[in-house]
Amino acid sequence: MRYLLQRLLQFAIVFFLVTFGVMVFMRIGMNKPGDPALTMLGGTVRLDQAEAVNARYHLNGNVFGQYWFWLEKMFRGDFGVSVQQNTTVAKYLSGRVLVTIFLGFYAVLWALIIAIPTAVYQAYKRDSRFDRGGNFLSFLFVSLPALVLAPFIIFLFVVKLGWFPRTGEKVMPWDDLGAHFRNFFLPVVVLTLPLAAIFARLLRGDMIQTLQSDFITLASAKGVPPGRVLWTHALRNSLFSLLTSVGVQLGGIVGGALVVEQYFNMKGMGSLLLTSILSKDLFVVQSVTAIVVAVVCVANLVIDLLYAVIDPRIRHARALT
Amino acid sequence: MTATLTPTPTPTGTVVYAKARRKVPQLGWMFGAAWLTVLGICAFAANYLPFIRSYDAKIQVNGRAKKYGLGPGWTAWFGTDNSSHDVFARCIYGARQTLIIGIGATIIGLTVGGLLGVLAGYYRGWADRVVSIVVDCLLALPPLLLALLLIQRSDQIKESITAIAWLTRSEEIMITLGILSIAPFARIVRAQTLALRERDFVLAARSVGAKPRRVIWREIMPNLVPAMVTVAVTGLGILIAAEGTLAFLGLGVERPQTWGKMIDASRDDLGKAWWAAIFPCLFLFLTVLSFNFIGDRLARKFDIREAAV
Repeated sequence: MRYLLQRLLQFAIVFFLVTFGVMVFMRIGMNKPGDPALTMLGGTVRLDQAEAVNARYHLNGNVFGQYWFWLEKMFRGDFGVSVQQNTTVAKYLSGRVLVTIFLGFYAVLWALIIAIPTAVYQAYKRDSRFDRGGNFLSFLFVSLPALVLAPFIIFLFVVKLGWFPRTGEKVMPWDDLGAHFRNFFLPVVVLTLPLAAIFARLLRGDMIQTLQSDFITLASAKGVPPGRVLWTHALRNSLFSLLTSVGVQLGGIVGGALVVEQYFNMKGMGSLLLTSILSKDLFVVQSVTAIVVAVVCVANLVIDLLYAVIDPRIRHARALT
Repeated sequence: MTATLTPTPTPTGTVVYAKARRKVPQLGWMFGAAWLTVLGICAFAANYLPFIRSYDAKIQVNGRAKKYGLGPGWTAWFGTDNSSHDVFARCIYGARQTLIIGIGATIIGLTVGGLLGVLAGYYRGWADRVVSIVVDCLLALPPLLLALLLIQRSDQIKESITAIAWLTRSEEIMITLGILSIAPFARIVRAQTLALRERDFVLAARSVGAKPRRVIWREIMPNLVPAMVTVAVTGLGILIAAEGTLAFLGLGVERPQTWGKMIDASRDDLGKAWWAAIFPCLFLFLTVLSFNFIGDRLARKFDIREAAV
């Protein structure tokens, strides 16, 4: 319990520092009061219009005051407005966020589905032909960032074979399941393969170490069938690095999604982020970073709790403190 | 009662030794070293090598410069791009820019991150806590998002802080990527320092009255070098990929343009002219792969566990 509180405190500190940092950062060079409003409105505006925006979002005060009002509004669900897009930020985001969530979810899911069995079998048949082949492939894919993988994939599947559409339309699964998968398949593949390679390499290394420990020998000696030894005894004890890595890679997926969305012309969070940063859309940038940071932090917190679920030793050690 | 002395039993039965691995030459890192050497020489001597065209040379087909005029062939090895420049020459000039940015960023990250990591690991206590919070904050934001923010705002920052107004675009990108790599470097160095400071030779140095500064520089730093080199090489691959991504998103160096920019410029014409995008991709891939191969080799040699950068 105390451990959990400690982690929550840490999470809160990071969250506030980062969002505040981004806020200050976006305002560098806007020293004159009223400048944020002018930047937000863009182009030529009358001074009284700028004043009105300033008054509404308290952009006149010092940074701390601005931060406080922004934070307060955000927790009440008012993310501010995007003047350039002519909507509220909440509306702007909600149209886009699902695409990225689907991309990220499918990518992690498939990466795990591919990586876990491969790595377990690789570790079991260490130095076999399968192991060496898998090692080589995973090494290749670790060095293939989305930026490089996407043109190859597009060239093969879209230009040469023509199996998939060039652009990923935003089709929701509850509208048309087939079209949904057809549109999301290639982007997800581009995100999945490098991710699966990273996961497989980590898990293989840990599995090999676990398989050499005494309790595995004991389990096989007392007659537990090898499949069970492998999949329950060994796998469960080798999951830690993998889990940590999933948490670390979540941030990377946001970046990967940004690239993939550019390639497939998908309208997701990535392209939204890019346009808003380039056009200095203050509230959009602030809200998106806040959401992303919160998601990454919460995911890491959940993973931390999962350690305790997997390993009773950690559970008891934490209960004691 | 007779005490019989039994000799300790010699191990009988089959002792299964792991099959000694066949001695195969490690082709991976040799390939990596070869590729990087050739690429490096070509990139930095590009102006003097006869087979590399100049950056602005246009290749004319039948007397006029045509968009994607030539495919890969003898005249232009990798074909020509949408403004009829030689793709091969542009790849080489891009390599120079990318390598400079990558190496510069690594040096920045290694210096700052290494220093923070050593201080946090050696002094523990509040220094450790402060560094941990900084690192956590840097890691909480997705790296690409942070890079976009930093580069996009750099013009404004240069306006308000005139002391750094002389920075060029490529130096801005270098510094940005350097800042990104601070957190992972600091984390790894901290972990290594934590382990080192408990070792006996550090204790010995401290007990003869060496000052912390001396202990850090003479005892701990030399032992950090293998880990730092390994992580730097692997990190270089990642930074080069990151630079490519930034250029792809339109935040790269304008001239000479790097691989990411080239990919972006012709990615919609894959059907018409695959060479213009695929060859820069290949360069990027092979370079990252080479750094990974060498990094892997070093990690094995120095027995460093794969560090998640």
